[in-house]
Amino acid sequence: MVGGVPLAAKAAAAVLVAACVTFMLVPLAVVVASSFSASEFLVFPPRGFSLRWYEEILGSREYTGAAWTSLRLAAVVTALSLLIGTAVAIALVRGRIPGTRTLVALFLSPLVLPTIIFGIGLLMVFSHYGDGPSFTALAVGHVVVTLPYVVRTVAAVLEGADPSVEEAARTMGANAWQRYWHVVIPQCRAGMLAGAFFAFNISFDEAVIALFLRVPGSETLPLTIYSKLEFSPDPSVAAASSVLIGLTVLLVVLMERALGIQSLTR
Amino acid sequence: MAHIELVGLEKRFGEARALAGVSLDIEEGVLAAILGPSGCGKTTLLRVVAGLERPGAGRVRVAGEDITDLAPERRGLGMMFQSYALLPHMTVAENLRFPLRMQRLGDRRQQAEKVDWALELVQLGGMASRYPRQLSGGQQQRVALARALIAGPRVLLLDEPLSNLDAQLRKDMQLELIELHRQLRLTTLLVTHDQEEALSLADVVVLMRAGGVEQTGTPRAIYEQPATPFAAEFLGAANLLEVDARPAEGGGWRVTLAPGVSLPVSAPADPRAGKRTLMLRQEDMVVMAGPVAGGVEAELGTVAFQGATCRAVVRLAGHRLRVVAPSAALAGLESGRRVYLEWPEGRALLL
Repeated sequence: MVGGVPLAAKAAAAVLVAACVTFMLVPLAVVVASSFSASEFLVFPPRGFSLRWYEEILGSREYTGAAWTSLRLAAVVTALSLLIGTAVAIALVRGRIPGTRTLVALFLSPLVLPTIIFGIGLLMVFSHYGDGPSFTALAVGHVVVTLPYVVRTVAAVLEGADPSVEEAARTMGANAWQRYWHVVIPQCRAGMLAGAFFAFNISFDEAVIALFLRVPGSETLPLTIYSKLEFSPDPSVAAASSVLIGLTVLLVVLMERALGIQSLTR
Repeated sequence: MAHIELVGLEKRFGEARALAGVSLDIEEGVLAAILGPSGCGKTTLLRVVAGLERPGAGRVRVAGEDITDLAPERRGLGMMFQSYALLPHMTVAENLRFPLRMQRLGDRRQQAEKVDWALELVQLGGMASRYPRQLSGGQQQRVALARALIAGPRVLLLDEPLSNLDAQLRKDMQLELIELHRQLRLTTLLVTHDQEEALSLADVVVLMRAGGVEQTGTPRAIYEQPATPFAAEFLGAANLLEVDARPAEGGGWRVTLAPGVSLPVSAPADPRAGKRTLMLRQEDMVVMAGPVAGGVEAELGTVAFQGATCRAVVRLAGHRLRVVAPSAALAGLESGRRVYLEWPEGRALLL
């Protein structure tokens, strides 16, 4: 191409990209750097170098317990969102359901719903009809938030799939269940994997709904970090956060290995 | 009793009538090509036979059994889709085994043997463990074909099987399809919009138009004796001329192209005198530089050289005719000059 993009536009793009990357990465770098501080208080720049706060969080029942709760929660939430979200996506894309557009809007609404309002509502519902906050209540709350991601990623993959493959399976003798199991679901696999990744990360990271539905004594990791920060801000907070960051990066890498980033956007 | 019997099939999509009462008998072992322009209902007809569309009225019978209300997965037919519809997450061998697994045909070992047989049949011996996306278009087409016939279907349905191939490959595959059909003798319905494909592959051509069957016959019969102007035009782009036709003295008929220009033609099946349509095939006309007995005078228009043959426009008594002639016959003739046209007896047809 000859003279397609003006130089000023190129320069502006470069500045924007640089700014975005800076604002994304600098806070993370600050947190990771402070986690190696030798000081008693959370400060930046860090003073000295030590791994004592990593030792601290590994030995702390508060942190390990919270991490275990968060992991269990994220696992349950991921499994449920996958199960429900895949079924919903298949129904929305392949089923001939009247009012599909309304249903799509409904299933994607948690994306735009203020979680704080949703959290209050959920707390009231569970307090009125159940025993109030519990692991189950929290899992239900998280599933509502993560479901749209699974529905979206699976629906996107399914929309790109050739519907005549399912018809071909019919003519080859596959009944409805065999078609789901051997044809539809395998074709959804990339979307399911991407959706699972989002669901796990969002649930593991979520703090607003967790705040309303907290069960005293078995809080999730984000909430533990938050209350620690409020009451005794030492570098263990940064260490725990760094572990979270590391875990996310690991997930992204695994995901990339399994799928290739392109397949998420295709 | 015909192997496939279609009786009064109708299908509507909203306001549009895709099938307007189609009845058709196809004998066992015959390869029938359903030919027609896009939107004529040919694919809908195939899908009704497959069970993928439910007809609004009419019956579908295969080997005497009424399968109109049977689900597609229980019909025991093999269908090849225009997009090939290979299972993208399965290898070639797994794709081929899929119909055998679903229909529980044979044990694992027998299925593996059958897969090998099918791979051999379509000459894909080394491709068993490839995924569809690793194959060329032509190879995917062969896998789709092998998969459609591996379970020994009662009827083979092919929806535009060659339309996604490039021209040369399509010609090769036409020959292979003929060979395959000779070998297996599966009763086959093939849908195509390509008249040349239909003529070269089929035992029987079913010409469709606007949801109905326009004409049925062998390729030669339907080409040489088109029943309607549409059939003449669709198969081989004929010249259609509005003429005045009436019986001549001493047998035979005469058509008048323009005042003073009349020609003998053979007697039509339909003996209506007056305004009729005369069909002249492009390749039947002989163009000559000098006058001959029985020839008519015409003016040569544009000539397009295309190798062995030339396409030319000839003006005859106010009519514009398209002609395809051997290049040698037109050598040295410039456009605008006077030429003489002749055609073999019986090749000018009154519709």
